[in-house]
Amino acid sequence: MDVRSQDAHGLEGLRAERGVLRLATRAMGTRFELVLACEDEPRARAAGEEALERIEQCDARYSVFTSSSLIARANRDASERPVKLDPELFELLQRCQSLCAESDGAFDVAIGPLMRALGFRGQRIDAPRGSSSGSFELDATTRSVRFTRPDTQLDLGSIAKGHALDLAAAVLRERGVDRALLHGGTSSVIALGTPPDHAEGWRVRIGPDGAFEACLRDSALSVSAPRGRTADFGGHTIGHILDPRTGRPVPLGLRAAVVAPSAEAADAWSTAALVLHARGRPLHLHRPADQSWLIEDEGVEPQFWGSRGSFAPHSGLQASHR
Amino acid sequence: MSTPDRRQLLHASAGGAAALFLAPSFELLHPAIVGAPLTLAVIGAGRQGRAILGELATIPEATVVAVCDTDDSRLQSAVRRAQGLKGYASHKELLEKEPGIAAVVIATPTHLHRAIALDCIAAGKHVYCETPLAHTVEDTAAIAAAAKGSSKVFAGGYQGRSNPVYSLARSFFKAGTLRQLSHLRAQDHKKTSWRTSGSTPERDKELNWHLDGDISLGLAGEKGSHQLDVFHHFLGRYPVSVRGEGELRLHKDGRTVADTILLDLRFDDGLRANYSSTLCNSYEGRYELIGGEMALIKLGWTHGWMFKEADAPTQGWEVYANRQQYHNDSGITLIADATKLAAQGKLTEGVGLPYTSLYYALADFVKAASEGKAPACSASEAARSTVVGILANQAVKSGSEVAIDPALLESL
Repeated sequence: MDVRSQDAHGLEGLRAERGVLRLATRAMGTRFELVLACEDEPRARAAGEEALERIEQCDARYSVFTSSSLIARANRDASERPVKLDPELFELLQRCQSLCAESDGAFDVAIGPLMRALGFRGQRIDAPRGSSSGSFELDATTRSVRFTRPDTQLDLGSIAKGHALDLAAAVLRERGVDRALLHGGTSSVIALGTPPDHAEGWRVRIGPDGAFEACLRDSALSVSAPRGRTADFGGHTIGHILDPRTGRPVPLGLRAAVVAPSAEAADAWSTAALVLHARGRPLHLHRPADQSWLIEDEGVEPQFWGSRGSFAPHSGLQASHR
Repeated sequence: MSTPDRRQLLHASAGGAAALFLAPSFELLHPAIVGAPLTLAVIGAGRQGRAILGELATIPEATVVAVCDTDDSRLQSAVRRAQGLKGYASHKELLEKEPGIAAVVIATPTHLHRAIALDCIAAGKHVYCETPLAHTVEDTAAIAAAAKGSSKVFAGGYQGRSNPVYSLARSFFKAGTLRQLSHLRAQDHKKTSWRTSGSTPERDKELNWHLDGDISLGLAGEKGSHQLDVFHHFLGRYPVSVRGEGELRLHKDGRTVADTILLDLRFDDGLRANYSSTLCNSYEGRYELIGGEMALIKLGWTHGWMFKEADAPTQGWEVYANRQQYHNDSGITLIADATKLAAQGKLTEGVGLPYTSLYYALADFVKAASEGKAPACSASEAARSTVVGILANQAVKSGSEVAIDPALLESL
């Protein structure tokens, strides 16, 4: 998925308009971009930069690739002793535990060893034995995390972008920005208010040639597709979305789009929805009531759960997604 | 270290200039703090104050109980982020109502440090004060004098002094690895407006104090003094004069400080330090270079490297070195305690610091305050680099050479 700035109807068109500012930063191995409607450019730029700085801070604290990150610290030491966390990460991990339970283990941040075994996190390691879920515990009194299995590694790859977007959006709101669109790594997007010229909301296309678009207004969208990142495993091309229970990659042809009140929830559930679909689970048992899901599979009619109106046939664009 | 590990390490060790990766010992990497937890308050909840709150929350030996900011929206935002934190609108109220606090961290605008630092020292608190310490020589001297008269710990916020990568690089430097020094160079390049957006336009001016040339030390003081302090720390001496130039290249939004500056500092033996800072372009970010006859040390906050000349003697530890490619220069990356790290399978996973630089600075302060020991950055050291920053900013503003009086620095 991509908010394609080159698209004639896409964000590039917005830049030419007066009172619209675009900012971007590189974080979490990808590019975060922010479009905001503004009257006072220096103030809007300052607010936008602070929002992007919040995303950079998330990257510095949650990346498995940065040795000084809090997550790297936990992965290094939490199997030997409890590691004290800041309130933000502690609460995020609490929510991750809830998500894991609600999704029947389809979402699991303790998926680190599996990701590494399949070659998605640098040097390959041997695959872990058995399930990877439920292998860390949180202690609220000491605000610490401790691994209950020595091979546990946390990997926030399926939630960090959404979480960072929510924090960045909160910074914008605190600074008085009420019309903005932020996307991260072209797979998660959050909308504040509406664009200056579209009262109904920010229209975002799902997939480069996708048949659907979402109209966002103070809501978020996340799209997960195994094709987004692939690796070669034993001569086969596999996608980066795995069932944490079995380690099995979900089929490459799948794509899930989730519209939710927060980018964090959309990010986490778009991954979980794919895994649950691949397991053949009835998705209505798991979908939170305030979310809308779209599952696309090659050669199969698209399936919708929740508000069908969240996804409309693709038309003219504000921003397009690949 | 097993043979396969070593082979793996040396795999990329093709010729060319050598960049030695510097990483500190295990003990330095895992700062152990003993004693009772230290109760702290953070004064100032702006960007730096919030970063400090975030790091202190992960230090087991520190307990933050209160935060203070004159801006209510910032204060409430900080209180919301950390559970059980008490918020105060002024440092005086905080000192009055929280007598049990042992230590404070001051992260307010630079020109407000003096009054707050003096009140906190007078109240018998251990003080960590962000740097530069103050915006005038007079205020800096007043803070330094008060700190020296206190029985409590006073630590300045120049983080190069507590950063283990810098400490390890300094040990190579002190051992004479570079031989005759050739040049010093540092830069801080980042594309940013350096502006803060307040809850109302009226609050903007107050929050953007660093864009007001009357009270701000500009890039030379606010950013440059941190990097020049690295040179002071390594060399153990200070420049005797500074020339500067500054331009407003991009951010023409009413600010009265340059967004791009150059400094040329001269030491008494003719050694020069060049410094460049801009808010218009991010290329190569931030680093310090210390060049010499036999090698050059490059320091980049969480990482450090040494580029050796071809005729430099080979040292024993180089067999444990990783190598990295830098444009035309390929070189060794060295990690101290490489054997131990390799045995734990941790060497090839990335060789940066396990904690942030700010964490080390705050952990050092917590340890110093808990154990009554000297902090890594003393009041005098912080004051001297602050004054160099103040004079460098004067040079940028005047576009002429400014003398740095050794007697003045000595008195601090």
